[in-house]
Amino acid sequence: MNTASSIRPMLIITAIALLATGLLVSQQWLTSSNVKIPSGREEVVFWHFWGGADRAIVEDVAKRFNESQSDYYVRPIAMPGNNLDLKFFLSVTGGDPPDLLNIDDPVIADWGHRGAILALDEVATPEEVERLKQWLFPAARRLVTYEDHLYGVPNGLDIRALYVNKTMLARYGLSTPKTIADLDHIAETIAPPDQTEPYRHHGYLPDSRRIWAWGPVFGGQFYDLSDGQVTLTTPEIESALAWMVSYRDRYGPSEIARFRHGDQSLPGKTFPLFAERYAVVMDGQWRVRDIRAFQKSQADKREEITQFEAIPLPVPPGGKPNAGWVNGNNFVIPRGANASRGAWEFIKYWCGFDGKEAAAAKTCVAGGWIPVSQNVVDEPHFQQFLEDEPMFRTFIELAGSENQFPVPVIPGAPYFNNGVKNLAESAMSSSTEPDLRQMLSEAEARIQSHIDRARTEQ
Amino acid sequence: MWHRKGDVSGEDRHNPRQITSTLTGNPVIRSPLKISTKSVLQDQAGISDQADAVSRESRRRWRAWFTATGFASPWLVGLLALFIYPFVVSLYWSFCQYDLINPPRFVGMDNYEQLASEFATGTGIAHALWNTGYYALLSVPLSIVLGVGLATLLSCDIRGQSVFRTLFYLPSVIPVVAASILWMWLLNPADGLVNSILGSLGLWQPQWFTSPAEFVSSESLTESAWENNSAPIGSKDALILMSLWGMGNFMVIYLAAIGDIPKSLYEAARIDGAGPIRRFINVTLPLLTPIIFFNLVMGLIQSVQAFTQIYIVSEGRGAPADSTLVISLHLFLSAFQHLNMGYASAVAWLLFALLGLATWFLFTTSRRWVFEGVR
Repeated sequence: MNTASSIRPMLIITAIALLATGLLVSQQWLTSSNVKIPSGREEVVFWHFWGGADRAIVEDVAKRFNESQSDYYVRPIAMPGNNLDLKFFLSVTGGDPPDLLNIDDPVIADWGHRGAILALDEVATPEEVERLKQWLFPAARRLVTYEDHLYGVPNGLDIRALYVNKTMLARYGLSTPKTIADLDHIAETIAPPDQTEPYRHHGYLPDSRRIWAWGPVFGGQFYDLSDGQVTLTTPEIESALAWMVSYRDRYGPSEIARFRHGDQSLPGKTFPLFAERYAVVMDGQWRVRDIRAFQKSQADKREEITQFEAIPLPVPPGGKPNAGWVNGNNFVIPRGANASRGAWEFIKYWCGFDGKEAAAAKTCVAGGWIPVSQNVVDEPHFQQFLEDEPMFRTFIELAGSENQFPVPVIPGAPYFNNGVKNLAESAMSSSTEPDLRQMLSEAEARIQSHIDRARTEQ
Repeated sequence: MWHRKGDVSGEDRHNPRQITSTLTGNPVIRSPLKISTKSVLQDQAGISDQADAVSRESRRRWRAWFTATGFASPWLVGLLALFIYPFVVSLYWSFCQYDLINPPRFVGMDNYEQLASEFATGTGIAHALWNTGYYALLSVPLSIVLGVGLATLLSCDIRGQSVFRTLFYLPSVIPVVAASILWMWLLNPADGLVNSILGSLGLWQPQWFTSPAEFVSSESLTESAWENNSAPIGSKDALILMSLWGMGNFMVIYLAAIGDIPKSLYEAARIDGAGPIRRFINVTLPLLTPIIFFNLVMGLIQSVQAFTQIYIVSEGRGAPADSTLVISLHLFLSAFQHLNMGYASAVAWLLFALLGLATWFLFTTSRRWVFEGVR
């Protein structure tokens, strides 16, 4: 009994010691990296959300950067893109943020306002920042500018254009739309509103989320930066919304919901433009690759090759040409980053700033990304790419336009973004006649209240 | 039972002169007036033995306590770190402005005032509360009705009973993420299986997750809502359908409860001439009420806290048109997308209070309908 009593504490202590050792070993094993940082170099931990083929491109850029200089060593870490912002906050709260982060949500102002990320003035010289402002496309500059400070740099732009199935249009005796009236005509010809049969094809159906694109096309702005007021009740925004809602009036809310559901995200051959579910679809530059692959598969099968075209959004009378909504993947440097200088050097390398345009052109071609500066576009390697992919030219022209606008870069932008989308969604799916003016007015007040509050926080 | 030296049991208190030694078991005669020297010496020797025994006992108890605490410590640490601490700190945060990045700043009742103003204007939390109420108040009663009905049918002694039971229970073991994606495909309004079947039968084809329509609303009574072969069945109704599909857990509890009902009661009812429906109403249902009550409370809490499936089907933002923005999603977005942890904490406490009130109401009213008869 006595022996057992004396052994028991020892057993407990041994068990605890073993458990603690096991935890330490597993923690070390789980968090250790196989990457060997060359001596004398500072490690730059880079979080990004690219997977699949894109991940290999990112790792190649990091490899090229690491080979190009001797001060820093970038270690890219692929994170699942979903809720990347939440993971980032946890790392900041835990005191171990990455040195560099790439994110595609409209969070620049929110994070900059709260001091979670560094303004570039804190890592670059004033002269560098000024040069960078001139160097970027206007749309790229707008994406990362908050209160006249740059809080990041986009590595590429996401631009929306209209993809047109020219073969399908030709079958109906139609041509590529140049105006909103042309687009309406295409819609009504391919899918007559009084058709009694279920619709199998549509000319065009607007996606409620794309009010951010159609607003500027109609000449409107959602926000006035000069006085900080939400401007949803302007005639231009109301016209854009009314035009989108006119499709609800033509086909009914359920038809729009039924036909649109999930289509936008369908990959490859299931993309509705190929299946002729639509003749015209709004989408981003990444579809160029899909179209090329689809045409190649048609050629391989000796089928007739469907002809496509990418065009700027058609303009109504009084609207703005080459207008639309721009988004981007933005590099930001977290406050508290250990290697902020190294992060800045890597940003410059990836984007092509400061004489690194040739390397950036190679990166953009590999990823099918839109460069953030005309200087990169002008590189021979990228020009060759445009020769091979003429459809991509439309996106480059749009990237250089003064009429491409992001979700306003202000505190509360995510709420603003969702609020406007919800407004359009409600109007287009309403089973009763929506009172657009009232809906716009209520949404304006609601969003204004939220962003006023967000602006005064911290 | 162990007593400490000199301890006096309840009976002994009435007779102070004769006290039984709790250690030796011998009666100890004590007189406040006459105490012999021998008995004092005996008592002193006994005191020494008893002190050692008590000391050993005390050590044994401490050891037992430490051992028990040691084994329970992983759970205790989890309870303290993941439940008690967030519980307490969220109350403090609800009076703060806190964005996860900067330290919390005390702002008094600001967050609760914002909640009140949203209630007044019917936005934000008011909208989320409506969506939550719609979902909970329809899905919970329906799950009870269907659960009891299915369990009653599955308790019938028929061939292949266990196969049917397994089939109906199976959906509840499917991970919620997989089930959500599966249902998004099934309820795709364009080419989903459900609408394809409804279409081939010439029935209405709802828009499910793509429509903010509500089946239980005045709009459903209008003719326009049923035009173009559509139906006013939207995202929340689809979520309710999804929740009913996965109600196997509750059904198993009902099955166990039905199996626990004494057969003699059914025999007595049969002798009295009761048919199957009468036996169900007068025997099965009353004896199931304690279980129904349990499932009602648990179902209500679960449905108010539902998050994962709603997050998945709503693009993580309550789409379409905020129709699936329930309180839990509103809380999540406020905290992690709008960086307003203080407001989100206030929402959490409001949710806690509402659930507490609802549970209290159910317990109070349960006396009227929950049958606590003898089994």
